[in-house]
Amino acid sequence: MDASIILEHLYLVVMTVIFSVVVGLPIGVLAYLKPAGRKIVLWSVEILQTIPALALLGLIIIALGPGKMTVISGLVLYSLLPIVHNTCVGLENVDNGIKEAGKGMGLTQLDRLISVEIPLAFPMIFTGIRIATVTTVGVAVFATSVGGGGLGKIIYQGIRTQNINLIVSGTVSLMIMAVLFDVLMIWINRRLAKGAHNKAF
Amino acid sequence: MIRFENVKKKYGNTVILDNLSFNIEPGEFVVLIGPSGCGKTTTLKSINRLIKPDQGKIFVNGQEISQVNPVKLRRKIGYVIQQIGLFPNMTIEQNIGVVPKRLKYEKKEIQKITRDLMEMVDMSFEEYAHKYPSELSGGQQQRIGVLRALAASPPIVLMDEPFGALDPMTRATLQKEIGKLHKKLNKTIVFVTHDMNEALDLADKIIFMEQGKIVQMATPEEMLANPASPLIRDFMRKSSLATDPLNLTAADFMSANVISVQKKKSIRECTDIMARQHIDSLVIKNEDETYAGVVTIKDIKKHGKSSGTIGEIEPYQNITSDILENAKDSFDKLYNSGDNYVVVLNNDQTVAGIISKTSMATAMADTLWGDMQ
Amino acid sequence: MIFFETYGDRLITAFQVHLFYVLTSVTIGFAIALVLGILLSRVPQYAKVIMPLLSVFQTIPGIVFIGILFLYLGMIPATVISALAVYAIFPILKNTYTGLLDIKKEYIEAAKGCGMSPFQTLLEVELPLASPSIIAGLRMSTIYTVSWAVLAAMIGLGGLGEFIYIGIASNNDQLILAGAIPSAIMAIGLSLLIDVLRRVVVPKGIRSVK
Ligand SMILES: Nc1ncnc2c1ncn2[C@@H]1O[C@H](COP(=O)(O)OP(=O)(O)OP(=O)(O)O)[C@@H](O)[C@H]1O
Ligand SMILES: [Mg+2]
Repeated sequence: MDASIILEHLYLVVMTVIFSVVVGLPIGVLAYLKPAGRKIVLWSVEILQTIPALALLGLIIIALGPGKMTVISGLVLYSLLPIVHNTCVGLENVDNGIKEAGKGMGLTQLDRLISVEIPLAFPMIFTGIRIATVTTVGVAVFATSVGGGGLGKIIYQGIRTQNINLIVSGTVSLMIMAVLFDVLMIWINRRLAKGAHNKAF
Repeated sequence: MIRFENVKKKYGNTVILDNLSFNIEPGEFVVLIGPSGCGKTTTLKSINRLIKPDQGKIFVNGQEISQVNPVKLRRKIGYVIQQIGLFPNMTIEQNIGVVPKRLKYEKKEIQKITRDLMEMVDMSFEEYAHKYPSELSGGQQQRIGVLRALAASPPIVLMDEPFGALDPMTRATLQKEIGKLHKKLNKTIVFVTHDMNEALDLADKIIFMEQGKIVQMATPEEMLANPASPLIRDFMRKSSLATDPLNLTAADFMSANVISVQKKKSIRECTDIMARQHIDSLVIKNEDETYAGVVTIKDIKKHGKSSGTIGEIEPYQNITSDILENAKDSFDKLYNSGDNYVVVLNNDQTVAGIISKTSMATAMADTLWGDMQ
Repeated sequence: MIFFETYGDRLITAFQVHLFYVLTSVTIGFAIALVLGILLSRVPQYAKVIMPLLSVFQTIPGIVFIGILFLYLGMIPATVISALAVYAIFPILKNTYTGLLDIKKEYIEAAKGCGMSPFQTLLEVELPLASPSIIAGLRMSTIYTVSWAVLAAMIGLGGLGEFIYIGIASNNDQLILAGAIPSAIMAIGLSLLIDVLRRVVVPKGIRSVK
């Protein structure tokens, strides 16, 4: 097993997370702003999660053909739930008094979102992103079934050739990657929270 | 009935209970009082083994409690915890029946007990028995917390600030009930409070604690006559029974609930307020909140116009008194001036309240018969 | 329609097999998780070390469990069921543990003060109060397990994954959908069922408290 496979996996994960944030964050914000649509949005992302990953990828293959784009779009759909959910709920949970204060100071809705509500909800939003990232590391093993490569290739190969060493080395790399992402992002979240605290007081 | 022998408890290096020894006779009503954090709750919890002391012995009914099965011990000791702690997953009826059910009372009997107890605190069984704690007000929850401790008629009841969240009326009612119950059922009660009035009212014996030590253990009369420390005297002073009438100030007799308006208020609004509050005069304040005078409904009628601000009417210079002024001097002013009330001013000339004949009577009654509110 | 004539019977069998895998493994996982969660909540000082370790193992994809068990146990349903059960444990375990630990001290103290034994306290106060959290974990586990059970087909043990694998291999979208849609329906159906269970299990008094 060489480093390029790990990098390939990493590439899939990072691209997926970037796209999920770009898509999921606005959806979460919209769901928060429009309570009427909130239920439907949250429900739809939850339904997406109930479709087996492999099937989701299989369906996208039909539209996009095999390859990395297929994998990434599938994984994005899969990681929307934690991001959309945590964005919406995080914004909702921002202290009402603070929201009122923002209104009282005459800030527009957009102003309030950007300068008050999103920064305050950020730890929760970031937690959603972290969950999405760690899950994606694992789910990305399916990439290999649709021609996307990554660590799944090693694991599948190990299973097919009954080579336990191969399975273990693939799995351990995967675990390390997941744990590193987890630890790193928890650390970043703490730093950000502290920074926000210092700024506010 | 309950005896502490050199009981010590430490958390880390802080001494929480410092060599406590005392004795509570059967049927006695003992009140533990003292400043926050002095160890009242810790003392109470040591009695039913929720907390294990580091040293010393505690006897209940002659038995050393570390030798008694805690579950058996607790079923004979009713306990009202400071945070109320009704089980949110159980209905009120189930909550009250928790201990009787464990003691294998019959269903019918449990229901009867619940009904009787609820009646005692004026809560209808039909209305509340099947509700959940989250559907009750804080005061109602607290009452049920007390009932839960009484349900299996334990010979000993421990109560940790059981009336903390109640309004003065309910508090007074429940205090009376507890007092009656104590006499009727001859229970031994250990009762924790912050409130010296409550202690003086209820206790056969008061234990005053400070930093884990007993500063004084005495009957209410004794404690009133000879408080053993400045802190106890301080606690007594806050209780109206012990207040020396010579030291009362205007502040003790005024009603702080005074309706005042700024000069820039429109006259129409002012008449509205007066009509709504059923009052015939308003205290007027300057821009900087300082006292300006009083305008009566007659003044407004004389003024004629209902447009414009109240500031345009020359206010009447009502009699005033300083908040720290001796109460007797304020009374004299009130009687001699012929004004309806005395306006009490803070040091910075802002309005603190008024002393009217009503507020005076209420405060007097308060001093004589306890908290009337 | 022709599709159903050709595949209808196989689809129904696959659905049943899939459901069987899910139900048995979730049931086993639930029992293990509940017991472990309760035990861990009694020793929080150890749990603080054990839980993060378990969450690291949680990052191992289900496919690896199946793969390794396959090597040792061979091509039998027990392989799939134990792998899925292992996977189902964690969300329930975690939610049981945190649910029990989040209970306010005052309730435990009140229970003790009322003379409840530790076991009665667990049964009558702690578990009911933790039930919303436990059920949420069960729901999560069930949805995941439906999805992971697709992997049974990877080692030739049937279930809805069969259609998906064949579909991907032969680029047949109908087959993929024939696997995907029923499994999504199964996940949704089971989670609705768990919502019903929740109404029954979670005491009325704490429902609004979430
Ligand atoms: N588990 C604990 N660990 C460490 N310190 C504790 C613990 N429980 C209580 N204490 C400390 O012991 C002291 C006495 O607590 P206790 O609850 O007995 O006070 P209290 O007299 O009941 O106060 P209050 O009137 O506020 O209820 C306090 O300083 C408290 O901070
Ligand atoms: Mg206390």
